Amino acid sequence: MSEAAPVVAFLGRPNAGKSSLFNAVTGRRAKVGNFPGITVDVEEHDTTLPSGRSATLCDLPGLHRLDGALGEGTDEELARRLIDRLVDGPRPAVLLQVCDATRLALALALCRQARARWPQAPFVLALTHVDELAEEGAELDAARLADATGARVVATHAAAPDAARLVLAAIDDAAPAAPVDFDPEAVAAAVVKRTSTARRGPRARTDAWDRALLHPALGPMIFIGIMAAVFAAVFLVADPVTDALDAGTQRLAAALRPRLGDGFAASMVLDGALGGVGTVLVFLPQIIILIVALEALEASGYLARAAFLLDRAFRGFGLGGKAFVPLLTGHACAVPAITATRVLREPGERLATILVIPLMSCSARLPVYTLLISAFFGDSPLRRAGIATALYVSGIALGLVAARVMRSSVARGRSLPLLLEMPLVRRPMLRPILRRAWLEAKEFTWRAGSVIFAASIALWILLNTATRPAAYEGEPLIDRSVAAAFGRGLEPVTRPLGFDWRINVGLVGSFGARELMVGTMGVIFGIENAGKEPAPLVAKLRDAKAPDGKPAYGAPTAVALLVFFVIACQCISTLSAVRRETRSTKLALFVLVYTYALAWVCGALAFQLTRALSP
Amino acid sequence: MTLAELDRGASARIDALPDDLDAASQCVSMGLRVGASASVLRRAPFGGPLHVRVGDVELAIGRELAARVTVSR
Repeated sequence: MSEAAPVVAFLGRPNAGKSSLFNAVTGRRAKVGNFPGITVDVEEHDTTLPSGRSATLCDLPGLHRLDGALGEGTDEELARRLIDRLVDGPRPAVLLQVCDATRLALALALCRQARARWPQAPFVLALTHVDELAEEGAELDAARLADATGARVVATHAAAPDAARLVLAAIDDAAPAAPVDFDPEAVAAAVVKRTSTARRGPRARTDAWDRALLHPALGPMIFIGIMAAVFAAVFLVADPVTDALDAGTQRLAAALRPRLGDGFAASMVLDGALGGVGTVLVFLPQIIILIVALEALEASGYLARAAFLLDRAFRGFGLGGKAFVPLLTGHACAVPAITATRVLREPGERLATILVIPLMSCSARLPVYTLLISAFFGDSPLRRAGIATALYVSGIALGLVAARVMRSSVARGRSLPLLLEMPLVRRPMLRPILRRAWLEAKEFTWRAGSVIFAASIALWILLNTATRPAAYEGEPLIDRSVAAAFGRGLEPVTRPLGFDWRINVGLVGSFGARELMVGTMGVIFGIENAGKEPAPLVAKLRDAKAPDGKPAYGAPTAVALLVFFVIACQCISTLSAVRRETRSTKLALFVLVYTYALAWVCGALAFQLTRALSP
Repeated sequence: MTLAELDRGASARIDALPDDLDAASQCVSMGLRVGASASVLRRAPFGGPLHVRVGDVELAIGRELAARVTVSR
């Protein structure tokens, strides 16, 4: 056995439970690493095996097969290329295939291909979901499976307390074996002993669920219900929490103000830092609720059901049902959603999906939606949730229409028929979901504390630097600041949408990160109202005055701004993800131009229409 | 007959996969192989995909692809 530290590649079919087992073995401490030579994020973790050797574990993208024309840049092709590199690399490679024990024959077909392609690498078969197999009344003969395949076999499930120990021990013991060929069907039939043929346990439960979830009439209703519930919950549940946090921030500012005095530094801390960062941070609960809901849906197996239900409708827009998963992920964040398009095999369909993902309302838009809806569309929570849902729906509808247009222009190509495994319906495990939520919360807080903090301070400085002396006695500094001059310069462009200089400053700031819109408003109105009683930003927005003394913003401006935020791709990270996945700067610029142009046109239409219709 | 023509609830033996090698390899990687028994659990309305059980696996299969899989009862 080699003394050098091996690299262990976790491979397996999608839904085999690979990432769950990987997380269980690494204790959820894995870091996202970057594979040398390939710009793919792979979770890696250094660990110590029972023998004292160290080893690096890495979690590869899922794959169904190793033969055939695997499209370049798809999950399958990336996983195959990564293992090729590992096996030829300087460190000894161990292949560990995670197999769903309830679907052993398919897993063994992949195992056979992997053993044939990389015969020199020690191989571990890690069977998961053996608890479900037991519940079905079936028994598994692990020794026989090891004999037939030449692999070390470990049978466990991700929630088992000894899963990590068993898997690490198997990795430690794995040794190169003589090449064998076997019939996956025959081996699977021989090693799984079923005491009865009746469908029971998880399979019977899945059958019952599917009768409702995939019912021709009930199924679509459940789907719409689930989606509406998720998006409404984001508002109904998070609204009061957000209000409470907002009130807390106000109290903090009020408590700090007497201590800090009226000086320059005090204004920078209270109006700049607290106004910017505090305003953004209060939107944390909504984002967490959204992430938890999406993760739970994914873990339950429901997304494959949704793809089945939507496939026919999506074909009308040039996409297949599988495109639903990246599009749904886009409601949390466009960057992982663009990565998730790697499951799509047909290049034209994948490109069209990438190009329209930015139209899905991501969680960074939530703060802007919430602020504007609370300020201008009444106090009824149901009405607010309804408007928010309408915004989500319009993003999706626009995305589908745009996909249709792309498929007959920049993203032509054939459409592949759907072929998708329907996983068992399972109760989601709580810990991985909470871990994801925790990671999101950390990321969001970090962004608020770094990017948004820095931007808020910069904005505060620009708002407090005069371009000219006061035109009259007592003209506020902010009205003749650098930022105001800049925002006014843009007014001719944004006037058809009803935006003033303050919104323009926010729009420019929000190009880097959408939450900055809210932070900018927090800083501007914090400075303008510095001498007054502290009030929620919502109230300040409603009471804002234009130079002629009339209210600066009304429903038409709010509608136009909401429409603008639904459509415009104000996010550098998204553009760089588009560039990375399409390997084209032109396409990234195309996304920027088409979304901004569309946002301007639709925003202007929305402003003019709302103004014409309002009394 | 083809898998797409199979009645709901009926099962049949797969006799041939699509001619195109890549499509065939993809079918095999999902458990659709010659000799396996497949049953149609349900079909999505308006020409949508089929929900098919093959062995211990369940699949969603687009109607066009199912029409290229030959089966016999």
